[in-house]
Parts: sequence; structure tokens; C-alpha cells
Amino acid sequence: MEAAQATPVKYDMEVVRWFSVAAVIYLVVGTLIGVYIASELAWPFLNFDIPYITFGRLRPLHTNAVVFAFGGCTLMATGYYMVQRTGATRLWSNGLAWFTFWGWNLIIVLAVITLPLGITQSKEYAELEWPIDILIAVVWLAFGLNHIMTVAIRKTSHIYVSNWFTMSMIIMITYLHVVNSLAIPVSLTKSYSIFSGVQDAMVQWWWGHNAVGFYLTAGFLGIMYYFVPKQANRPVFSYRLSVLHFWALTFGYVWLGAHHLQYTALPDWTGSLGAAVSLAMIIPSWGGAMNGMMTLSGAWDRLRTDYIMRFLVVSLAFYAMSTFEGPVMSIKTVNALSHYTDWTVGHVHSGALGWVAMVAIGALYHMVKKLWNTEMYSDNLVNVHFWLSTVGTVIYVVAMWVSGIMQGLMWRDYDEYGALTYTFVESVAAMHPYYAMRAIGGVIFNLGAWIMLYNVVMTVRKAGAARDTNAIPVKA
Amino acid sequence: MTSLLGYLGMDVAAMTANDWLGVFFSVLVFVGMVYAYFMVFRPANKEKFESQRGMALDDDDPVKMGEKR
Repeated sequence: MEAAQATPVKYDMEVVRWFSVAAVIYLVVGTLIGVYIASELAWPFLNFDIPYITFGRLRPLHTNAVVFAFGGCTLMATGYYMVQRTGATRLWSNGLAWFTFWGWNLIIVLAVITLPLGITQSKEYAELEWPIDILIAVVWLAFGLNHIMTVAIRKTSHIYVSNWFTMSMIIMITYLHVVNSLAIPVSLTKSYSIFSGVQDAMVQWWWGHNAVGFYLTAGFLGIMYYFVPKQANRPVFSYRLSVLHFWALTFGYVWLGAHHLQYTALPDWTGSLGAAVSLAMIIPSWGGAMNGMMTLSGAWDRLRTDYIMRFLVVSLAFYAMSTFEGPVMSIKTVNALSHYTDWTVGHVHSGALGWVAMVAIGALYHMVKKLWNTEMYSDNLVNVHFWLSTVGTVIYVVAMWVSGIMQGLMWRDYDEYGALTYTFVESVAAMHPYYAMRAIGGVIFNLGAWIMLYNVVMTVRKAGAARDTNAIPVKA
Repeated sequence: MTSLLGYLGMDVAAMTANDWLGVFFSVLVFVGMVYAYFMVFRPANKEKFESQRGMALDDDDPVKMGEKR
């Protein structure tokens, strides 16, 4: 850091500001759509017989909004932020960074238009049609090039572990997205995958689980390793453990996808391999979670007053929990009960709301204060947001756990004659209270997101007003 | 023991190019992981790694983050 201390660096932070505010807006929008489709499942009349707002059309819009709009803007904001600060250098190309901002938002707008119209590749987490897939590849590569080149021109000798995680995500997502999206177009809005049958399923879940593994885990672990020490104002507990966490995750995660396809036409050994490596991944995942939590050693009292720190620590608890739950669910015996049930939905949201959203929210609050050089408009609202997020997540996840396990048990229960005890419709009726409970959990979480948006907007306005007051006129 | 060997055994003659590619990458990843563990836990490397613990904390001083350019 000698170079950084000798020569003050002006970073390219305007694009980070825009990405940060966009992320908060998309958090509100994405979770709002989630609340609506959760309500449709509980009270189907909310479809209003309008095809564009049916569950099948809005569900991919929800996942794209929260994963790629909120998650993507957060990853690009933090990626550009961390790489400059840990490298003591400006971005390699500020213009290219702005291209990624507008390009990524164009993709989001195209998703908002095409998905409700039913224009889809029908691949989970990869629904967007081929022209948009090409645009995603171009913008993502621009982000990758800019990030990697900024690392290359850094003024520090060491590349901080957060940047390793981000680069791993960039490289892996590039080839996962490209390979899984390979398709033969038959029109501007329709294409067919070049893979078929079980190969298509295998490639799809190779992508699907690694979108979780690299986009929602590696990328956000990069955030964790930078923002937890920053917010705690303490060095990371063990840097060696962070290096091991990185390599174990990078080597191991790509093998897991087959555990999504237990008891299918896929060769049995591939599912076993997927489950075995899933279980092995508990070790680095828990090592990483402990590393983040132990960073607070000697400063746990800060949790009483530092509401942003609460988000980061709770996110680590959810990370540890969901990285244990996932491998357990991948075991064939457990999978026989859990697969195709709401338990999977609960597991995903334990990771998505509890881990990804919480760590992202903590990082965004931290950055907003730094980027606008001010305190939050209201720390109390941050605290209210924290409790709404936590309570909303717990209600959602518990509802889906109970619902999912009940579903699994009802589906495979049979009488003394070997006939199924329950019809499928009976299992659907039994789910209703939990679907309502899930919607309520979602409403609570979404309410927290609205509060965050209000708090961030007021913080930015407050900072702008203070700057105008303190501005010194400059002669041309 | 025989059943265990049977479980671990493989029909080398029947292996396709894809199978060999899979074996190659599996062994490569295994060796890579062993190397990573060795490097990280080697006592001689402890100071080298742990000296970077505070890197994220070192980047605040010279920059006024809210400064508009």
C-alpha cells in the first residue's frame, strides 16, 4: 500500500454510485414481484386470467430481477469498488464501466418486456432468448475485461482475496453462460438448445448450480471478505483460511450440478459424485463462514450499535446454515424426500434472502456512506430494515421447510394395499396455510427493502445538500 | 476386499476419450487441492499470507470517497 499512501488516488466512483442505487431499486422491484407470485400461489384469483401476470410468466421475471438485476448490480458496484481500492488505482476504463452499467440495465429492460410475453428458452435461471444471451455475454465480458485489466494495472504487489473471488466468478460464469446458452435460433424470439434429453438436463444444472456457486456464492464471498473487515474495522481472522476457501470452492463447486438430477435418466454415478463433492464442500464453506465471524473476535459488542454489521454477521450465519442444508439435501436418501417439494424453495431462499441479500445490503449501506461521504439519513431505519429482513426471511424459510417436508411425506405415504394415501390435490390443499405464511414473510422482507430505498434516497439528498452548502465557487 | 476392488476397478479398455479427459481433470484437481493445502499450511508461508490480513483496512487514508470530480 506504499504507493497508495504516497500519492492520493482519485477513484472512478460515479459508476459505482449508479450501480449501488440501481441495486437498491431492483431489490425493491424483484422482491415485490416475488411477493406477488407467492400471493398468486396462495390466492390464485390474483392471476385475473391475464396471461402476462400468471405465475409461469412472472416467476422467471422475479428470479431474473433478484439474481441478475439486484445481484448483478451489487456485484458490479462492489467489484468496481473493491478492485480500485485494494489495487490503489482507478479503473482501467471508466468508459467501459459505463458501458457495462447501461448494457446491464438494457438487458434488464429486455427481460421485463420479453418474459411476461412468454418469450423464453425454458431453461431455469437462463430463460432469456438468444439475442439477449449474446448481449449478456458482451456486457459480462466487458465487465470481466475491465476488472481483470484494473487488477493488472494495480499499484499494490498483492491481489486481495476478494478480487480472486470476483475474477473466479467472472471466468466461470462466462463459460457456463456461453455453453448453456448454445442454441439454434429459428426466429428473433425463438431458439432451441443444441443439447437434448439428458445431456440438456446435465448442462442446464451444470449451469444452474454454478450460477448459485459462482455468481451467488463466489462473487458474494468476495464482498464478504472485503466488507466484513472494513465494517468491523479489524483484519480478516485468517488470510490463509481465505486462500484455502477460495481454491477449495473454485476446484470443487463445478462438480455439484448433478445432485439436482438424482433419480433421473442421468447415470447413477454422476448423482453420487455430485452428492459426494457437495458434502466435501461443507468444509471450505464452514471454514469461510467461521473466518468471517471470527473477524469480529474481540469486537462483538459492536453488534449492539452497528446495524450494518448485523446484516453482515447474520448473512454469515445463513451462509453456514444453507451450505450445510444443501449438501444434506443432495444425499440420495434425503433427496428422495426433498426433491420437487417446497423444501428446495425454502433452501434456496435461506441462501438468497439470508446470505446473498443480507451480505449485499450490508455492503451497499457501507458503500453508500463512503461513496457520498456522509452518515446514513437514519441509523434507526437501518435497524428496522435489519429486523424486517431477518424476521421476513425466517418466516419465509420456516413456512417452506414445514410445507416441503409435509409435501414429501404426503406424496410417498401409502396404505396397507400399496395405494397412495393422499391425492396430489389433497397435498396442494394442505399447503395453503404455508403459502399464505410465505407471502407474509415476503411482504415483511419487501417492506424492509422499501425502507432501505427511502433511507438511501434521503442519504443521497442529504449529502447533495451538504455539498451544495459547502461548495466553493471556482473560476473558469 | 475383493468386492472393494471390484467397486474401485475400471474397464480401462472400454474407456472413451471423454472418460480419459474426465480422469485427467479429476486427478489434476486432486493434485491442485493437495498443493493448495500444502502451500497454505506450510509454516514457512504463514507470515507471507497473514501479512495480507489487513489489506482491506489499508485503503482508506489518501482518498476522500465522497469527493466529486
